[in-house]
Amino acid sequence: MKKRTALLTTFLLLLALLLVACGGGGEEPAANEGSTTTTEETTNEEATNEEATNEETTTEETGEADCASEEVFCVGLVTDVGEIDDKSFNQSAWEGVKRAEAELGAKIDFIETKDAKDYATNIGLFADNGYDVIVTVGFALGEATAEAAAAHPDIFFIGVDQFQAWPFDDDASNDLPNLAGLIFPEDKAGFLAGALAGMMTESNTIAAVLGTDLVPPVVAFKEGYEAGARFVNPDINIISTYHPGGLDVAFTDPEWGASTAKQAIDQGADVVFGAGGKTGNGAIIEVANHEGVYCIGVDTDQWETVPEAHPCLISSAMKLITPGVFDLISAAKDGNFPAGNFVGEVGLAPFHDFDSVIPQEVKDRLNEIDTGLRDGSIETGYNPGG
Amino acid sequence: MTMDMKQLWKRYGPLAIILLVVIVITAWRYALNPQTTTAVLASTLRQSTPLVLGALCGLLGERSGVINIGIEGQMLLAAFIGFLTSVWTGNLLLAVLAGVGVGALLGLLLAFMSVTLKMDQIIGGTVINILAFGLTGYFYQAGLTTQGKLRPIPLGALADIPLIGPVLFNNPPITYVTLLLVVIIHYVLFYTRWGLRTRAVGEHPRAADTVGINVYLVRYTNVVLGGAIAGLAGAYLTLEAVGSFERAMTNGRGFVALAVMIFGKWTPFGAWGAALLFGLATAIQTQLQFAGELAIPHQFIGMLPYVLTIVVLAGFVGRARPPAAIGQPYETE
Repeated sequence: MKKRTALLTTFLLLLALLLVACGGGGEEPAANEGSTTTTEETTNEEATNEEATNEETTTEETGEADCASEEVFCVGLVTDVGEIDDKSFNQSAWEGVKRAEAELGAKIDFIETKDAKDYATNIGLFADNGYDVIVTVGFALGEATAEAAAAHPDIFFIGVDQFQAWPFDDDASNDLPNLAGLIFPEDKAGFLAGALAGMMTESNTIAAVLGTDLVPPVVAFKEGYEAGARFVNPDINIISTYHPGGLDVAFTDPEWGASTAKQAIDQGADVVFGAGGKTGNGAIIEVANHEGVYCIGVDTDQWETVPEAHPCLISSAMKLITPGVFDLISAAKDGNFPAGNFVGEVGLAPFHDFDSVIPQEVKDRLNEIDTGLRDGSIETGYNPGG
Repeated sequence: MTMDMKQLWKRYGPLAIILLVVIVITAWRYALNPQTTTAVLASTLRQSTPLVLGALCGLLGERSGVINIGIEGQMLLAAFIGFLTSVWTGNLLLAVLAGVGVGALLGLLLAFMSVTLKMDQIIGGTVINILAFGLTGYFYQAGLTTQGKLRPIPLGALADIPLIGPVLFNNPPITYVTLLLVVIIHYVLFYTRWGLRTRAVGEHPRAADTVGINVYLVRYTNVVLGGAIAGLAGAYLTLEAVGSFERAMTNGRGFVALAVMIFGKWTPFGAWGAALLFGLATAIQTQLQFAGELAIPHQFIGMLPYVLTIVVLAGFVGRARPPAAIGQPYETE
């Protein structure tokens, strides 16, 4: 009897492990339910088959995976550690890929990375199945993407948020022709957010709750934010904090973000900029519970993605990832793929419910600054090179 | 008389010194900058809350001889179920109860594995962690939002006392409950029959069995109650602190809670002090960054809680002795 119970328990626990392993398939956006789920499963299956039998074609038995053929344009996306529906980065890139499905008729699929050591494996899954374009999301995948691009010259690689002038010198002829890094001037987005914060504050103290400075874009956001605030309000008091943890926790710690935001509000901050995945989301949700304090989101229009923050969210410092990814995919399809680094656009998200709260002169000033940043007459002063 | 003084000093001396230092430093900082001091202390209490609850869960189990390294998983799954309940019903009280219930159920699972099946307790706890990460990762869907989170309840005139008021008497409900639980569990553990039995079972289950104590029942009760408290910690995260759920949002707090428990020498007040120290170190490292112009990398300051732990453990606390029968399944003859 005891043995049987033990066996039963073991079995149940194995089942639990199985659930962990399959975690990737269950959580994609509702828009493309059935088809993509099966695609993903078959992709994994095929990869295993291929490795096991070393056969050239495993395509017929599943009736899919004609990605290897010329006519079918396939786009695969590999997320950073995290989920496709992260309300931020992975999700915006995926929207761009989905636009390619709608407008270019591409076959699309994604793999969620569960562990940083799987980057190369996940990229390889798409590469081995003859995908035409592979999008990798996030700074951390830069190296794996560059290596894969060197190994698969016939596949186009788009690295979102990756500095991909390869090898790292100024000679453009050394760049891999099939690799583009989609980068953003985060300092400019941060500058706009900082200018908005600097004009909206009444206590003259503003705060920023950030992911880790191990990720350069986060540093750029912070420096731009502070420069922008000082640009409109030279005497402003800015308190900003990076998460003290490493890459594994810095962007997935909403409780730290929330308590840090509270600590900033308790000492008078009345605008809080949350920039750091879910850590930042935790910060802006906390702000929403305090009367008279504004918050600013990051990366995407967080009005759409973090409804809990509606009471405080005046805008978001956006990287326009979706159009950037889409532009690069269609360039790959049309055969004029830009190698090296491709600089995307940034901007402030709409003010939504705060449209009437934000005075017209603030809006005018922001437009002025935006124009200045674009034509170069205003500089953020952020210069990572030194 | 002199003997008594000596013993008193030995027992409470270090504690008194620490308290004195804390009070002096607090007063000094408060005189310099009241707003910042209040903010740091409020943040300290907040950061410590899930750790205290986790540590209370751990010490209830370990005092009766069952190691619980599944606190992290109990917290996470409870946080998730509490969040879902809040989304579906919009009733925060119900959501907290659901979280506590799930924690207790996982406690029951751990008790079943370690007491009835006599499984290795470390494995049992690990299983709970893996189970919780798997289930929450699989069933979580983005886009679920709650109506709000538990709001602070100011305690009348008490909340208007400078410094102490905003820090201690203007908190959301689970924080108050946590402070009460520390006192209650201390009382129950050291001044009631049930507490005596728990400790007896944790130290020498055979002897306890001989005098007629039901070892299994004591262990089951403790581990399930501990689970309920870990569940409250989970509910704290989603329903009081953050107001939404993210995968793996416990971020190791369940494991830090274990360290806090050992740091506090398996006593509720000790654990509370240790958790406050962790909370303070976290709040201070944030505050140092707020002050800006730091020449040292902030990761270095991020080590503060752990360096403090080592220093205090080595310098003040001395040897920590776990319950003797910890980790050993009990077999009746």
